[in-house]
Amino acid sequence: MIKEYYHATVIDTTLNVVNSRIESVRSKNITKTSLRVYKDQRIGVAGAIGSYKEDELLKEAMEALDRGIDYPVAPSSQLTMTQDLRKPLIAPQDLVTEFGQLLESLRELQPNYIFSNKMSLSERSNILYNDAGLKLEYADRTISAGLIFKEKSSTSVFDGAVGFRERKYDRKLILDEFNLILNAYSEKVSLPPNGRYPVVFLTEDAPVGKFITGLKADVLAKGGSLFSEKIGQRLFNEAFTFGQCLDPQEVYLSPFFDAEGVVNNGYTYNLIEDGVIKAPYCDKKTAHKFGFAPSGSAAAAYDGVPQTALLHPTIKKCGKSFKELLGGQTGIFVMMAAGGDFTPQGEYATPVQVALLTDGERLLGRLPEFNLSSHVYDMFGQGFRGVTDRTFLPFSGDSMAVLEMNIAAP
Amino acid sequence: MYTFQKGFYTDVRIEEVYETTITYTLGQLDESKIRKYKAAFIRVFDGSLWYYAATSDVDQVQNELDKLYGSARPNPDIDNHPVVRAFEVHQDNKLCYVESGVDRVPKAEKEKLLQSFFPILNAQPALKMWKAIYIDAKKIMTLYTSKGTQLTYDTQRAGYALRMNFSEGEKKLSESYQQATDTFEGLRKDTEPLQEHIQKCIDFMTHAVPVKPGKYTVILSPLAAGIFAHESFGHKSESDFMVGDETMIKEWAIGKKVGSDILSIVDCGTIPGSGYVPYDDEGTKARENYLIKDGILTGRLHSTSTAALLQEGLTGNARAINFEFEPIVRMTTTYIKPGSQTKEELIEGVEQGFLIETVNHGSGLSTFTMAPSLAYRIENGKVVEPVNISVISGTVFETLSLIDGLSNELKLLSFVTGGCGKMEQYPLPVGFGGPYVRVRSMMVQ
Repeated sequence: MIKEYYHATVIDTTLNVVNSRIESVRSKNITKTSLRVYKDQRIGVAGAIGSYKEDELLKEAMEALDRGIDYPVAPSSQLTMTQDLRKPLIAPQDLVTEFGQLLESLRELQPNYIFSNKMSLSERSNILYNDAGLKLEYADRTISAGLIFKEKSSTSVFDGAVGFRERKYDRKLILDEFNLILNAYSEKVSLPPNGRYPVVFLTEDAPVGKFITGLKADVLAKGGSLFSEKIGQRLFNEAFTFGQCLDPQEVYLSPFFDAEGVVNNGYTYNLIEDGVIKAPYCDKKTAHKFGFAPSGSAAAAYDGVPQTALLHPTIKKCGKSFKELLGGQTGIFVMMAAGGDFTPQGEYATPVQVALLTDGERLLGRLPEFNLSSHVYDMFGQGFRGVTDRTFLPFSGDSMAVLEMNIAAP
Repeated sequence: MYTFQKGFYTDVRIEEVYETTITYTLGQLDESKIRKYKAAFIRVFDGSLWYYAATSDVDQVQNELDKLYGSARPNPDIDNHPVVRAFEVHQDNKLCYVESGVDRVPKAEKEKLLQSFFPILNAQPALKMWKAIYIDAKKIMTLYTSKGTQLTYDTQRAGYALRMNFSEGEKKLSESYQQATDTFEGLRKDTEPLQEHIQKCIDFMTHAVPVKPGKYTVILSPLAAGIFAHESFGHKSESDFMVGDETMIKEWAIGKKVGSDILSIVDCGTIPGSGYVPYDDEGTKARENYLIKDGILTGRLHSTSTAALLQEGLTGNARAINFEFEPIVRMTTTYIKPGSQTKEELIEGVEQGFLIETVNHGSGLSTFTMAPSLAYRIENGKVVEPVNISVISGTVFETLSLIDGLSNELKLLSFVTGGCGKMEQYPLPVGFGGPYVRVRSMMVQ
């Protein structure tokens, strides 16, 4: 029998902002523990929030073995790795003062807007170890804001959002970034005629939902996916590489290993490489069942059995600048496109609630609402232009994906 | 119970949780667990700032309280603060799920219920992949406040969801079948509706054609109408978006005409199911709240804070997803009141349009959206063929005014998977529903 522990600790100080002022301070320090036992190709799991009694938790996990949940693979073993990315940031007790000053500056610089929602100092630590020689440790700390904004004259519930999550803090650069976006938002520009244009997304907001549903190993293996029986086929642009990335330099507050202790080479696992479907994503048990390689894509509740989940999907960067990818055209930077989806056959459509026009260096103004459409094989095929190394925004380090898509006035 | 310091408003919310999750994939057991925990969320208000703490150790509540008092500044006039004055005070013990508690049902019975569907799921060659999920959750909530509230009440939901991936050659479809209510005994366990749904899915996948984008008349099923009510208007009725916003206060003046004359939308926390909360997480008693009555804006949803700041009555809508979060303004069970026509009469009145039967998800901003799954084209008053639609959308006020028909039956739905999301807090159990609703024009893509 192998015994395995997973401790996940969340330490947060979160401020709630109402009407551009701090309304509340919330402190959280919660550790969740998972104890897994592996025996006779079965798994038993017990979980605890906060403190627990070792012998009771072990007894629970042992009893859970009798539930008959198969686990016909060996737990991860013989690997020790540590990544501690915590850098000094603002102390929790100073957060109200600092963010209070940030909001005060924002009220002065952008008097036509009302801001609300959360600002946080967040710390995570994850430790996974077992008696088969596995010990993986991760710790990280970020400061973040996710402020929704609304023009004072607007009758919408809210008009858009500005924010960041970084391991650094610079009030001036943050204000520069918020100003850049809000000043552009204040300038109304006309929607170009209906047609095909370069459309820009923060990479984490790119519409990759079809890959998340369609490249799940069990669905793909059983023929239920649009991509079933297409492994090895080039279906997308040669410049398009898509997969999972847990590189601590790229991903915040999320460990470099999955819930089963799998660590990928370079922390990445490509599902689509140079336009060719290479593999689905899966946990170790699903990989074993369907004959795939594990992709390090397991997630688990603190008291749950690991299950398949794509962790931090990402598109490979191309080394080109944003302006180069636009190729002299103006681009449409989508800030908020909620509610759209793919049909089973891969057609995609969504209304775009907030978008800014950009020439690759500047934000030129706010477009009216419009409808966006394409097909998964087009937007990541002929229409895929690439992903920048980072944004042109002064503070945030996010990359941006440029896809040609069809726009139409509502 | 606890020592509340003078000069502050304080409340302590303790959750005692029992949850079951059982999951099978293609008949193989993936998960089978019972989760039990007790934890607390604590709030201290000094008239200037709120201070919150979450703890999984209920024996440490007093220590956590004392820490929060140390951060806050005592306010000798706190009792006269408008928000503090507005808090309701109740002493009640309202445990509805003692005898019918899901914690009294053996897990083997819950597994057996899922297993009863396996023969049907395995019988269809076109059903390539399926997952069967059983979930129940019982919460006993206890609330103490410095104003004297002492409440204990319970909420409960139980249900199952069958997620299915169909395929026939290049044709694909993902659909689900879900049943949920407030007790295990109340769950529908017969298999005929599932069989019918599977046949419907296969027929849809085989025959669905692409939609020609444009503006059309749309008939929403009770599920779609419920999502519509929730997304299109419910979220906009959450009054935390209005606090300190003069434009919104004027725009959303009570008494304003906001929809067609036949439209009434209600939010109510007393309806058993996934939106049931007899008291909200601040101790306000649930009640029926008309948001729209006969097309007129009649009310909105409040926490104590928003009600006091906007000088309106309490509604019982301050809710948190769990002990880690503070209560914010949320919906409970939101629905459109039924009308007088039959579903068939609504369809007969459509020259060119669509019937939306099931929906994958919805969103509610200035433009609200729904992503349909099973949808059908209507021509000259008849349902003629299934169609693949990515999204239907509209602007709220325009669409509410374009409702011209409501069927005469009301269907209220509960859920055990998914839930409502608002900023960081997801998923919150809610209920919704309505009759069949006809909208004269919506964007269909």
